[in-house]
Amino acid sequence: MSLIEVVNLDKIYDESKVPVHALKNINLKIERGEFLAIVGPSGSGKTTLLNMIGGLDKPTRGTVLINGKDIYKFKADELTEFRLKNIGFVFQTFNLIPVLTAKENVEFIMLLQGVPKVERERRAIELLERVGLKDKINSKPFELSGGEQQRVAVARALASHPSFVLADEPTANLDSKSAEGLLDIMIELNKEYGTTFIIATHDDKVIRRVRRIIALEDGKVKSNERNE
Amino acid sequence: MIVQLAWKNIWRNKKRSLILVLATCFGVWGGIFTSGFSVGMWEGTIESAIDRELSHIQIHHPKFRDEKLVSQFIPDIDNVRKNLLNEDLISAYSERIIVEGIISSPVSTRGVKIFGIEPSQEKKVTSIYRKVIDGSYFTEDKENQIVIGSKLAEQLKVKLNSKVVLFFQSIDNNLVASAFRVAGIFKTESSIYDASVVFVSREELQSLLGAKDIVHEVAIRVRDVNMIDVVKNRLRANITNVLVEDWKEIAPEYALTRGILYVELNIFMGVILFALLFGISNTMMMSVFERIREFGMLMAIGMKRSKLFGLIISESVMLLFTGGAIGAFLGWITVLVLSKTGVDLSMVTEGLSAYSIPVVLYPKVPLHMYISLFLMLLATAIIASISPAVKAIRLKPVEAMRTF
Repeated sequence: MSLIEVVNLDKIYDESKVPVHALKNINLKIERGEFLAIVGPSGSGKTTLLNMIGGLDKPTRGTVLINGKDIYKFKADELTEFRLKNIGFVFQTFNLIPVLTAKENVEFIMLLQGVPKVERERRAIELLERVGLKDKINSKPFELSGGEQQRVAVARALASHPSFVLADEPTANLDSKSAEGLLDIMIELNKEYGTTFIIATHDDKVIRRVRRIIALEDGKVKSNERNE
Repeated sequence: MIVQLAWKNIWRNKKRSLILVLATCFGVWGGIFTSGFSVGMWEGTIESAIDRELSHIQIHHPKFRDEKLVSQFIPDIDNVRKNLLNEDLISAYSERIIVEGIISSPVSTRGVKIFGIEPSQEKKVTSIYRKVIDGSYFTEDKENQIVIGSKLAEQLKVKLNSKVVLFFQSIDNNLVASAFRVAGIFKTESSIYDASVVFVSREELQSLLGAKDIVHEVAIRVRDVNMIDVVKNRLRANITNVLVEDWKEIAPEYALTRGILYVELNIFMGVILFALLFGISNTMMMSVFERIREFGMLMAIGMKRSKLFGLIISESVMLLFTGGAIGAFLGWITVLVLSKTGVDLSMVTEGLSAYSIPVVLYPKVPLHMYISLFLMLLATAIIASISPAVKAIRLKPVEAMRTF
């Protein structure tokens, strides 16, 4: 059984007004441990597909199976709980909680999971050390650079032991050096923890280093191939 | 950490939160101060009425309070005395003969209530002897002494040692007239009382009435005010054919007005908090609008809507409780200080005495008012934040993160 199976997925926005066919009959299988990119020009449907896989938006037709479970058959709260336990998110604009420190931001998701305080702190520190932020544990987001904030976001995404991480343009707001540094960390974590990474991007630096590339064009899968 | 996060969130915009905290603080302080003043004034009025005339419990002939006939004296007074002496919770009691009559001076005539008392007993039950401003509260070995109120003295144009005549009905329905000499003039918090009550020796009044060992009223003082009901119920059980009532039953207007006062003060606090409700609702709504993207992210990563709802409600409660706690503390300190020093209202004393209100007030706020204040604060905080919280939980994560 594949980790993720996208079955006949269609997404049409504003059906009642001017319909925009964002995704057209997408069929995909993603296995455990993969490090892949969904690429394509702006408007090709990358973010929409990522949202569908993450259970953040409802498809017009078709569905998404994660570990064989149809996530769109869940009720709203069950889907939220499912995301909490199975999916890690890294957003383009970092989206950290500004009033919490780096450690508290990483801990927060474990708090939602009900992890005891001692365990939360241990894992948050371990992950922040792992992404190279040992000295910034008690820094607030505004005290960190963009690259550092995105590394905190990666640590947060991994804190909940997710089955996979969805990263939407994670390097879009970073300079080259920070972007390479972030990629190094994500690749290492993929190898070390076996966590699946699905990255929506049009950044060549990312595309060069992923092991599979799913190219979208006008809402359709244009190509789906290994990147050797 | 949710509580910690809520606390940190309210200080994101320090100036805005501080304004609301200060508004709540002043509102609550003002409410407590005003309540303390009102409660102190009314409790003082009740206490002075108890000290002056009511005492804690009174015993009468069953019909005396309605008809006030001289012949309606307490039956089997010896049995009453025996029961009162056996009751440990009673600190003192005073036996009174009460007749309605007329007092006349060379200048004027007034209707009065004549109390025949035993001064040594009465001193232990009421405080009139401490209110004597001229002369004395009966002197031993002197006959035909009368103690009258300052207002009555003024109306009759009499002073110390002046001669007055009392007219009243004897026990066998004959008219009795007897001359007395003013031995003392008292002044209480109530000018009405001072104009309508006179005290003479019980023994002399009894003799003038042509009666032997009669008592119309026994006024009882209980050691602990919390035990009034206990004592009253025991006396009711043990003494038959008499009416045993506590001060609330004798003067229901005092108890009723006290109850209404607390309702009024709660409404007053409610109005203050209602005004604050709009402020906090506006603040919470602005705070939610500023964080829509963040709420979208929180729901995306797995925060349930119920927790998000709770977070926003917690922020509102913390904001209001911070101001409320500071305001309540300041109010408590203010009331505490004033309850020791007292507030002298002698500037308006004439006006107050017409309503039997003491000249020096000792503000106080009972614990239950603080409790109801904080319950109202809690309700205000929740009501004010429901709309912003509903707004937040109705967001769709993707749209929230994309739109804002």
